[in-house]
Order: sequence, then structure tokens, then C-alpha cells
Amino acid sequence: MMNSMNNIMKQVDDVLNVLNKEVISNRQFAIDINKGDVHQALTYLKSIGFTQLSIITCVDLIADNKFQLIYILNNWELGLFVIVRTDIDRDNPSYVTVVNIFPGAKYYEREVHEFFGVTFEGNDSSFKPLLLEIWDDIPPLRKDFDPQVYSDRKFEKRDSDKIYRSKIGGVKL
Amino acid sequence: MVLENQDNRNLWEKIGDYFSANSIWMKWYCTGCGAIELPPTMTSRFDMERLGMGPMATPRQADVMLITGYLSTKTLRRVIYSYEQMQDPKYIVAFGSCTINGGVYYDSYATINQLDKYIPVDLYIAGCMPRPEAVMNAFADLISMIKKGQANGWRHYQENYEWYKKNQLDSLEEVIIHDEFHE
Amino acid sequence: MKEVKLFLGPQHPGMHGNYSVQMYVDGDIVKKARPTPGFLHRGFEKLMERRLWMGNLALIPRICVVEPDINEMVYAQGIEMLAKVEIPEKAHWIRMMILEMARLAIHIMGLGGIGGPTGLYTLTYWAIAQRDLILDLFEEITGARVYHMYIVPGGVRKQLPDGILEKLSELLDELEVKIPEYRELGLKHPIIHKRLKDNIMLPEDVVWEVGITGIGMRSATNKEYDLRKVQPYARYDQVEFDVPVANYSDALTRVNIKYKEIFQSIRILRQVIEKMPKEGEVRTKISTGSALRWKVPAGMVYSAIESSRGEYGYFIVSDGKEMPYRIAVRGASYPQGLLGIEKYLVDCRIDDASLWMDTMGVCSPEIDR
Repeated sequence: MMNSMNNIMKQVDDVLNVLNKEVISNRQFAIDINKGDVHQALTYLKSIGFTQLSIITCVDLIADNKFQLIYILNNWELGLFVIVRTDIDRDNPSYVTVVNIFPGAKYYEREVHEFFGVTFEGNDSSFKPLLLEIWDDIPPLRKDFDPQVYSDRKFEKRDSDKIYRSKIGGVKL
Repeated sequence: MVLENQDNRNLWEKIGDYFSANSIWMKWYCTGCGAIELPPTMTSRFDMERLGMGPMATPRQADVMLITGYLSTKTLRRVIYSYEQMQDPKYIVAFGSCTINGGVYYDSYATINQLDKYIPVDLYIAGCMPRPEAVMNAFADLISMIKKGQANGWRHYQENYEWYKKNQLDSLEEVIIHDEFHE
Repeated sequence: MKEVKLFLGPQHPGMHGNYSVQMYVDGDIVKKARPTPGFLHRGFEKLMERRLWMGNLALIPRICVVEPDINEMVYAQGIEMLAKVEIPEKAHWIRMMILEMARLAIHIMGLGGIGGPTGLYTLTYWAIAQRDLILDLFEEITGARVYHMYIVPGGVRKQLPDGILEKLSELLDELEVKIPEYRELGLKHPIIHKRLKDNIMLPEDVVWEVGITGIGMRSATNKEYDLRKVQPYARYDQVEFDVPVANYSDALTRVNIKYKEIFQSIRILRQVIEKMPKEGEVRTKISTGSALRWKVPAGMVYSAIESSRGEYGYFIVSDGKEMPYRIAVRGASYPQGLLGIEKYLVDCRIDDASLWMDTMGVCSPEIDR
């Protein structure tokens, strides 16, 4: 398996403008792609057998003031996963949809918009709420959102004379 | 608020309670993960029908509503909506630690922490998740509570409607249900 | 005729859990359908960032209620990939046993679940009672009926109790006799046959378009697209089993594949009983230091396994601290439960909605998280 993955990685490296690549396990590798080249990369990967989009998600890199978009593709023939990563700006985040390459992306993008506030141009339905209803705060999966504060503000807690809250080695959970 | 347990029913209400306690219809609404223990409770192994209970599809003909675990705000709107559609007398049994104080989701932004602020709860079952034996035990307790006239959460809801409504609106902002076409 | 707006669920006996499909119907035919997830949203992905790697063990089984063990497995597997830890041989076999028992339990329940929307409740009653026998075994092994928290990073929580393999083998004997009766009662029943045959089709191009995995994918493509075969984890490369496939995907085919997979699970379990090492440790440490506050090396990994509904994965990002930086969950039923319903429930009948969810395998808690 390692062999076919090396072949694929070499092939990908030749064709695409890969900023950085990383071998994660013997069935999985990750590539960093420029923001502008993602569509080309996904189209190419789809044409060489990565036909299934497993998930689109986002990581909030608050220290670098960036969002990292993650596209994970699955190659069923060879049993390989590829993780395509790209960085976008954290202030006023927006990106272009990949629905025309992978139609299954529609709801993943809608979820990323709901949880991180990234807008996807070209996917009109991504602006609608999906899992949440009447949300009135910043998108909940951003790192600067504190669910405890939100929960204390919105939902009443049961009064109790004893509060059991674990404290392990000084880290308050 | 504490639900008072005074028995000031008249004779006909006592007779009515006696009969209704022996034929309880359970509303078929799986609000949370505790619902996975309901099929074993309903079917042949634990057999809820021994207690004269059966599942009922519509809220208008159901007597007891089971809140099977955590409630997200989105579900709570539906729960209130369909609780208000049920006919009196109606009872609520709450499952698991999530309905008591939030359980493992104590700091979640999407789930409520204390159910009895929003709708009156007649009976809590502790545990995550309650075993079918515990569920059966709770049903037997509910039946004896109804016979003694202690399960009067629905009356409490009528008498303190403003208090409940205010709590609901504080947490939910509105209890109206919209469709998902977003048109 | 005028189109009518209809809410199917969340409070509806035909619905799978707390889920809703809202539709416009013309007579009996669905003209437009929209799935409505989110009733079970608890914000897991946020909560996991706020708990220790160890503390998350209590959370993760609750993501998918009907089949919790797959969550423990992907989580543990992901952490082991990040920490580059090799777990003891016996733990691999115990994990496989737990996973296959879980698959048996959910497949039996799913097979019985066909009884609900088609109105043959005897099947449901049988299946639930049969599944309870497996839950009893789970209780003996792990101490809990539904949420086991048994597969932990670094192996499994404790050794198997004495005599459990004999009990499992007796149960398998019983299942092998009982499950064919389901076929006689259910799948050969003329009403169910008529209801499922040539109904709720899933063409092959839809599989790739929507991204459906699992039974739906294998029933349409005629290929053995099963992560247990394609990317063997645990010790699936050391046991023999077949992956049932078909090239014509109507509801009946998918149920039949589910039926065949039960026997393959039994076959795997028999080999596990035979080949499992008798002696040996079952758990190893992920990192040095305090038992609760262990750290996972920085990195990111996508860990996926084959659940009963398809590819189930966690995307785990660690920054080398005591808590995960980000965990994203790919629920196996995400594509068919959302885009699949929106696009391909159109022109079906109203009562096909619950059959779609049943035969394709839609589990609402893992969509909502």
C-alpha cells in the first residue's frame, strides 16, 4: 500500500502546486494548497480516483488569525485518504463553493457556515441555518466562543448547595 | 417551584383517576437517547403492556409524555408545542441526569439544563441511561401517583402558566415552529 | 390538485428517532422534500475541545445512540495513530469482537425495524428481544447495556470475564437458527415483498453524486467497498469474510444485504473466538505522566472505520496539550440523510420516507451531533 501511496503523492506533486505535504499513516497523506488552487486540486484528485468526498470541515487557527478549510477525499479502489488543506483569512471569511465538483458538499458547506461563519459563494443554501435555530451569538465553533458563558446566560441552572466540579492538577474543567 | 401534593379531588375525579391510571397511553416521541431503551421496555422482554400502557401516535390521545434525555432548544420548542396539544390530565416523565441538571452536557450551548423550569415534571428517573427495569419501576410509581392524586403537574402548569411562559421565552425567544423551506 | 405542505416528524411513530422531513405533497406523491436535522444537536464538537482526552470517553459514545462502539473505536484509533502507539495483540481481537457484536445488534434491530413502516410488528418484537440477548452479553463484558466505554485509547478497558467466549458461541448458535426465521416471516412475506421490491431505487451515479457509503453504496455499485476490506483496521485482515454486494439497489436488495451481513458477522465472530490469544495484556499507555492528564502529540489525522451505515470518521487535530484542539465527526448517514432525502425522495410516496431512512441507514444523532 505504501508503494501506491508514494506513486500517488509523486503524481500529485508533479501536477499540482503543492505547498507542503505530510505523510500521516501508510494510508493517508495531507497536502497544503494555495487558496486559489483548491478547485483545480479537487478536480484533479477526483479524476485520479478520489471520487468520494468524505467531509468538509474547518479548523479555527486563532493564533495565526486564520481558518483552515479541510477537504477529505476517499479513494475506494486503493484505500487511500487525502486531506487537502487551505488557509483563508479569519476576518470576514469567505470562499468559493465546490458543489460543482462534489455535489455532496452542499450540506457540509452549510454546516461550516453555521459553525464558523465562513460564507461560500455560489452555494445559496449555505446561508440558511441547519442544526441551530434562532442563533443569536457568534458562530459556536469558533475558539473565542465560550459555551459555558452562553449556557449560563441562556439556561437556568439548578440551585444546589454543593457544586461538584472536577479540578485536575489546577486545570479547571 | 415545588409541586404541592394536596389531595383535594372530588369523588368523580378520584374515580376518573383510578380508571385512567390503569390505561395510560404513552406518546411516541423519542426526544433523546434514552429512547433506545424504550423498545425493550415496550416489547416482549419487559412488556409495558403488563401495566396497561401502550404507545400512542398522536399527542391528542396520549396521557404521558416521556422526555428521554437531553433537550436541545430546537426540540424543546416542539416538546412545548406538543405538550400543549395534549388533553388534561397529562403527565411528564423525565429520563436521565440530563433533564435534572444538564448531565454531561452541562456547558453545552444547545441543550437546556433544568427541564422543570419549562414544563412541569411529575417524575424523574435517574441514571444515564435508565435501564428498562428503572423505566418500568417509574411507570409503576407514576400509576400509584395518579391513583393518589399526586401527579398534578398539568394543573400546576395551568395555574402558573405565566411563570412557565416567561422561562420558556427567556431561554427560547419564541415557541413558534417554522418550516425548513426558508421561503 | 393543490400541493399541501406536510411535516413528517419529529413526533411521528414512523420517524427514525428525533428527525423530521418536511415536504410538499400532491396527493400521495412527494413533490419537494427538505430534511430537518438538529433536534439532537448537543454541540459535541465544541464540548470535546473543553474536556481532557480521557474525559471525552464519556462523551463520544453518546454521538450515535444505536451503535456507540464505533465512536470509541475511531477515537481510540485516531489517538493511537497520532501517538504512534502499538496496542497489544489481544486488544485488537477484543475490539473486533465488540465491533462485530455491535454490528449484529444494530443489524438485527434494523431488520426488525422494517416491520415498523410496513406494518408487520411481529418482526420488530422478535428482533428487539433477540437484540437484548446481545446487550446482556455486552453488560457482562463492559458493565453497561448501551454505552459501554470499553474501547479506550491504548487497548480495551479490562480483560474479558471468564467464560464469555463460550456464552458468545452459544448465542451465535442460537442466532444462526433464529435469523432465517426472520427471512421466512418478513422478507418472503408477500406484503413486504410488494412494498419493497422495485421501490425506492438508488442508481449508481447517485451514490457518487451524494457520497453515500455503506450498504447503499455496495448494493448499487456491485463492488466490495467496505473499509474492513479496503483499509483493514484491527485484525480484519486476518479473518475471512465476504462482503455482500448487488448491482440493483431497491429497498428489498438493501434489506437482503443487511440480512446477509448478519451471517458474515457471525462468521467473523466465530473466527475471533477461535483465533483470539488466550493470554496477554489488553491495554498500554498512550503517554507517560498522570493517568488522566495524558497528552497526545501534535498533528492531525482522519480516522475512519466501517459502521453499519458506512464510513464513519473523526478528523482529530491535536496541538500537543491535554485537550483536543478540534474534532470533527463525519456521521455515516450524513449524505443520505440530508442531500439524499432532499434530492431523491422526490416522486416517492409519503410512506417511503421512513423506508428510505430504514433501508439506507439514517441515524439522526450522528447527523446532529
